Amino acid sequence: MGKEQQQTYWRSLNELAQNEEYRKFAEREFPENATELSDGVSRRNFLQIMGASVALAGLAACRKPVQKIMPYTRQPEHMVPGIPLYYASAAPFRGNLNGIIVETNEGRPTKIEGNDLHPESKGRTNIRQQAAILELYDQDRSRRIRRNGESSSWDDFVAFCRDHFADTGRRVAFISESSSSPTLDRLRNKALDKFPNGRWVTFETYNDESVTTGTGMVFGRRLRPLYHFDKARVTLSLNDDFLQDSDNDVAYIGAFAQSKSVPDPDARPSRLYVAESNYSLTGSNADHRLRIKSSEIPLFVFALAARLSEDVSGLESYSGYHNTFSDHSWIPVLAKELLDNRGQSIITAGAEHDAAVHATVHAMNLALGNAGQSVSYLDVPYVAQTNQNHAFRELVDDMKAGSIDTVVMIGTNPVYSAPADLDFEGALNGISEKIHLSLHYDETSRTSNWHVNRAHFLETWGDGHSWTGVRSVIQPMIQPLFGGKSEVEFLAAIVDGEDTGGYELVRDTWRELLPGGFESSWNEVLHDGLQKDTRYPEVTVSRATAFQALAAEFLVVRRDEPSDAVELVIKADPKLHDGRFANNGWLQELPDPMTKITWDNVALLSPNTAERFGIPPARKFGDPNQQVIRITTPGGAETEIPAWVLPGHADNSITLYTGYGRQGIGRVADQVGVDTYNLRTTENRLFVTGVEVNRAGRTYVIASTQDHHSMEERPLVRDADLDYYRENPTFAQDAVYVPGIYGDREHPVSLFSDKVFPDHEPQWGMAIDLNSCIGCGVCTIACQAENNIPVIGKREVRRGREMHWIRTDRYFSGDDRGNPKVMHQPVPCMHCENAPCEQVCPVAATTHSDDGLNQMTYNRCIGTRYCANNCPYKVRRFNFFNYSREYLTTGDDPEIIQMAMNPDVTIRFRGVMEKCTYCVQRISRAKIDTKNKTGDSVKPPDGMVKTACQQACPANAITFGDLTDKNSVVSIQKSKDRNYVILEELNVRPRTSYLAKIRNPNREVSEQS
Amino acid sequence: MSQNTATVPDERLVKGNHDFASITKLISDIPQQKTPLWWYIAFGISNILLAVMLAMVVWLIWEGIGVWGLNQPVGWAWDITNFVWWVGIGHAGTLISAILFLFRQGWRTAINRFAEAMTIFAVMCAGLFPAIHVGRIWTIYWIFPLPNSMQLWPNFNSPLLWDVFAVFTYLTVSTLFWYVGLVPDLATMRDKVKGKISKMVYGAFALGWTGGNRQWQHYEKAYMILAGLATPLVLSVHTIVSFDFAVSIIPGWHTTIFPPYFVAGAIFSGFAMVLTLMIISRKLYGLEDIMTVDHIEKMNIIILVTGMMVGFAYAMEFFIAWYGGFEYEKFIFINRALGPYAWAYWTMITCNVVAPQFFWVKKFRRNIALTFALSIVINIGMWFERFVIVVSSLATDYLPSSWGYFSPTYVDVLTYVGTFGLFLTFFLLFMRFLPMVAIAEIKAVLPQANPAYYRSQNGHSSKSE
Repeated sequence: MGKEQQQTYWRSLNELAQNEEYRKFAEREFPENATELSDGVSRRNFLQIMGASVALAGLAACRKPVQKIMPYTRQPEHMVPGIPLYYASAAPFRGNLNGIIVETNEGRPTKIEGNDLHPESKGRTNIRQQAAILELYDQDRSRRIRRNGESSSWDDFVAFCRDHFADTGRRVAFISESSSSPTLDRLRNKALDKFPNGRWVTFETYNDESVTTGTGMVFGRRLRPLYHFDKARVTLSLNDDFLQDSDNDVAYIGAFAQSKSVPDPDARPSRLYVAESNYSLTGSNADHRLRIKSSEIPLFVFALAARLSEDVSGLESYSGYHNTFSDHSWIPVLAKELLDNRGQSIITAGAEHDAAVHATVHAMNLALGNAGQSVSYLDVPYVAQTNQNHAFRELVDDMKAGSIDTVVMIGTNPVYSAPADLDFEGALNGISEKIHLSLHYDETSRTSNWHVNRAHFLETWGDGHSWTGVRSVIQPMIQPLFGGKSEVEFLAAIVDGEDTGGYELVRDTWRELLPGGFESSWNEVLHDGLQKDTRYPEVTVSRATAFQALAAEFLVVRRDEPSDAVELVIKADPKLHDGRFANNGWLQELPDPMTKITWDNVALLSPNTAERFGIPPARKFGDPNQQVIRITTPGGAETEIPAWVLPGHADNSITLYTGYGRQGIGRVADQVGVDTYNLRTTENRLFVTGVEVNRAGRTYVIASTQDHHSMEERPLVRDADLDYYRENPTFAQDAVYVPGIYGDREHPVSLFSDKVFPDHEPQWGMAIDLNSCIGCGVCTIACQAENNIPVIGKREVRRGREMHWIRTDRYFSGDDRGNPKVMHQPVPCMHCENAPCEQVCPVAATTHSDDGLNQMTYNRCIGTRYCANNCPYKVRRFNFFNYSREYLTTGDDPEIIQMAMNPDVTIRFRGVMEKCTYCVQRISRAKIDTKNKTGDSVKPPDGMVKTACQQACPANAITFGDLTDKNSVVSIQKSKDRNYVILEELNVRPRTSYLAKIRNPNREVSEQS
Repeated sequence: MSQNTATVPDERLVKGNHDFASITKLISDIPQQKTPLWWYIAFGISNILLAVMLAMVVWLIWEGIGVWGLNQPVGWAWDITNFVWWVGIGHAGTLISAILFLFRQGWRTAINRFAEAMTIFAVMCAGLFPAIHVGRIWTIYWIFPLPNSMQLWPNFNSPLLWDVFAVFTYLTVSTLFWYVGLVPDLATMRDKVKGKISKMVYGAFALGWTGGNRQWQHYEKAYMILAGLATPLVLSVHTIVSFDFAVSIIPGWHTTIFPPYFVAGAIFSGFAMVLTLMIISRKLYGLEDIMTVDHIEKMNIIILVTGMMVGFAYAMEFFIAWYGGFEYEKFIFINRALGPYAWAYWTMITCNVVAPQFFWVKKFRRNIALTFALSIVINIGMWFERFVIVVSSLATDYLPSSWGYFSPTYVDVLTYVGTFGLFLTFFLLFMRFLPMVAIAEIKAVLPQANPAYYRSQNGHSSKSE
């Protein structure tokens, strides 16, 4: 390795990639198209990062699996084997970044956490960011560049670009995913300058075009609304699942949880009203929820606007308007709440609703004085000035008309996800040159002439802005495993006809962006993960004069559907989104927050609607077979999909999720679920009314992780209305009678010594605030990533053998058929002081540690499963098969997934029990660090140990720490009156406790179903 | 004794006009006869079943516990059900041999050998399941308190460990008891058989028995001591097996009534199994004179008694679930009768509580066909009892979110069916090569064994004298 490469760690990777001598060597040793050897490529890069000499890399090609530990001949700076390094970066999703910190072990990224310094992440993450690690190590990612399906090389591609794009008169259409990257934007401008006949369209399957178009109608400018849920007293969500289906979900969840927090009985939590058709995660956190068809949302919005127009100015166009919802009982209640909380309320609507709905919502927010207070409007330079949905449709028309020569597609997959009526595939087939950059060799790649395999964001340089405009640089954590290229490298090759590295491209852009000395500012940006004081400008909005006329138009064209007409609502999957995460096993196996279904999409419908179609409204316990229904839209599109009864769903409405039914993508995505995009058209992006539903006469097996949905009136999740809580602050603790507790006794009287533990500090404990928890499931993924939990597949999940160490239980309560309440409860191991599992293990494989952990010694376990049987919380997980082996050694390239493993956590063999350890490896590391620092103490300061679930939780619902420290956050949480443990009467003395959920209902609302 | 205080004479235990010689011949001839065709057929079928069982066990060990239908809440199902069921069946032997011996019940002599053999083979079948149900069978020796350099001992708090000791002790004592009882008869066989090799083998196992007075004295003492040792074991094994459940914290398992309830159930099923086997073999081998209808009736009475005890226990569980006021326990019992496993529960009630009620009627008690049918019904019922206890309690315990339904796989089913192969293989070998009635002991209950016999006028037994 050259001297220069030693300068900075990441730079050395980049330099190494440029090393011509090395590349020749690699090409000679591993021909690019020899797939059976392609594992050598990844292995090689891995070794490289380990600091092995280039010559040693050839060992991976030995026929016999020789495993050698390579010593560092020169140890890279900062790197101590066994000590992870942390780098700041940013994770993009739909063009918006969020700050992350990546843990790397000997050069392998193994875990993603939020960036504490980032104002939107605040150290928290969502399921997509947690699962990005597995996406990086996805063996099925495209590994080579293809020309008409045949293997090609980057050099060939660059040569092609130089040649093809030399003719600047070409009619080039760029179809890009959304992006907020200054570098991409720079290249975009360059491209549009170079190709006068070129055109740039952003295609995002689910996007904010309606929202920004709506702002354009009201304010005369296309703006991005930013909601401050922490400042809101009242929030009304109209079919908007802002806690889950949002680019800014991490920040929104945090702010929402903060506004709902009830630190003491005098607290004034906010109130959330949700009107929606599907029972969404946001709906499940509502204080009041109205079941309403998605197709009726516009009527409801206009009726509300009409009612508000009586009291506020600015909604004059709506005054006097009357429809079927004008007399709805919710309208006056909402109006009163919103008027009482002017400037402190938020109205949001689902992004895929019409611009008219959004315009009305923005107008109401403005009229209520929320704009500038609880709702900000940001001027985002990366939001196109025209509606990109329309632009995309026009482009497809032009493609069909033959007025496009070359199509360059950057990261999107329109063949799969574009509205069905456009027949994008057909249009694309008529184009002579189609170039596609993507992570997988997907539907669009197969239709293209050129496929360039894309590098993952953890492998490349990039940049961009967060939702609010915080600018970050994306740093690579590892060399591209499969030699992929980033979008900027790809575009630079097209525009310049040259092979320029992402590092130079990004730095070139940032030279303009960074004030002062570039290198030091650049290093600071890399170190912090963001550029300080960057934010999109907030705009003080006012009503455009044209709005009056536009609003009047909204109200004219509404025709009332018959109320028993069945609507079909198509939404992005909570886990796979538009399908881009379909090959991610962690996300596939994560139970859907509401249905607890894994590995499938279903047609969600209400019990009443199910009965209408002859489907039993209640599932038989233990029967995984679900009725399949055939849905036919008025346009003639048809699909067959299993029906799933979701109590609380609106009647005469069916919700489908997209992102499933992929073919030829990878071993995880293929054949899972049903492709529902054929039902989604340009005109019916969100819903289609008047669909026909028939039973298909067959059943389909669905793997759900929760078979029973009622708490059976057991006090597991304890909740109360705010008023009740104020009168009975200890209601949660009083919910059960525990014999033998009297006076100040903490535990029941016992014949034996009360004390179970030696005097030892610290004693670990956890508290989970159910009032904060929204049920998103990020804790499960974070735990899976941290603790090397295998993915076991649909068959095993169906058999009830899911391995997640922390699960989120979801219960329905109340009137089951109508509009039940939903409660979410994360359940990790309780680490009982008086643990029933420990007493029954015949070989003492599960024992208690001095610091109060219920430990599981895998080596000692013989697998009787007695501990799991005797666990009242059923948190123990058994390796019924050699799941880890299947997970880590199958496929042509097992070494790739192996790189994702956390080296601090043992891989469990078949036949042994496992369970939540309170992240004992993190505890141990903190203890060692503390001892190194202090010399004798093994008591880490409060906050030093964070469990993976705690660290990931965007709602800050989980606290963990030392119970002997009365000032620790967890001790303070546990001393609150809402604190309780479940099954206290068993006297197992759990260390994990819960804080009761407090609802803040409005007494004036008569709940309607 | 004067004539007008004469007691009603007991029915003779051995029917027909047998004397010592004819008894010896009747029983010792069986192993010497040409092997009947039905034996070969039965043995063939048993061997096939045994092979199936072995294949299933190998598959299980090769693939992992996942080949069974177990899931997250239900960590034990058919494995432990079968274990408890077979151990329960294994109870009858020692009860008949030891307790009835101590109570001087002469009628036990016709069936004790037979029942003891059944016990040993049943316990072997039972022992298989705890061994193979662990996830890592190659480390199963860790449950034994073997000294090791790491000073790692098993967890003596665990009922599963107690189980190991209890079952091993029981198997050891039962085998010893059986073997000690066999010694005089093995000597008889040694003296009777013609073949040189068989003579040597029987002779070796007969330990040089000559039938001398001193030998009989020692034998009687040894037998008495072993009977004394075995008696508490009859009660302890199933008590400890029941601790696996009773000591746990799971509603439906955590029940103090379990020890007596399990013991009663074990005797119940054990007697039923003895009857099933006895009714077939007495017919096949023409032993109706020794295993008489009187025996069947006596055993049916025990079945009726223990069946009622089991029924009482079922009722008591419900009462305590209500009286105890523990929500979760209340739920589990109601759920057993009305929930997803109601079919298993009502099968159990029908077989175990309703079916034995026939035996209130003397005519039914003495009806061989009915007894045979009911003996099978009872064992089906007892299997379901264990299934209901093991599975339904686990399936729907404390947190409804974790509830799960158990369905067996073909491996579950074939492993269980296969254990019949193991059992019957051994049992057929026993019937083929060993005297299946205790010759020496049955002679002791012949009238001729009464010292007064030869003094009597008519040459017939007259106990009234």
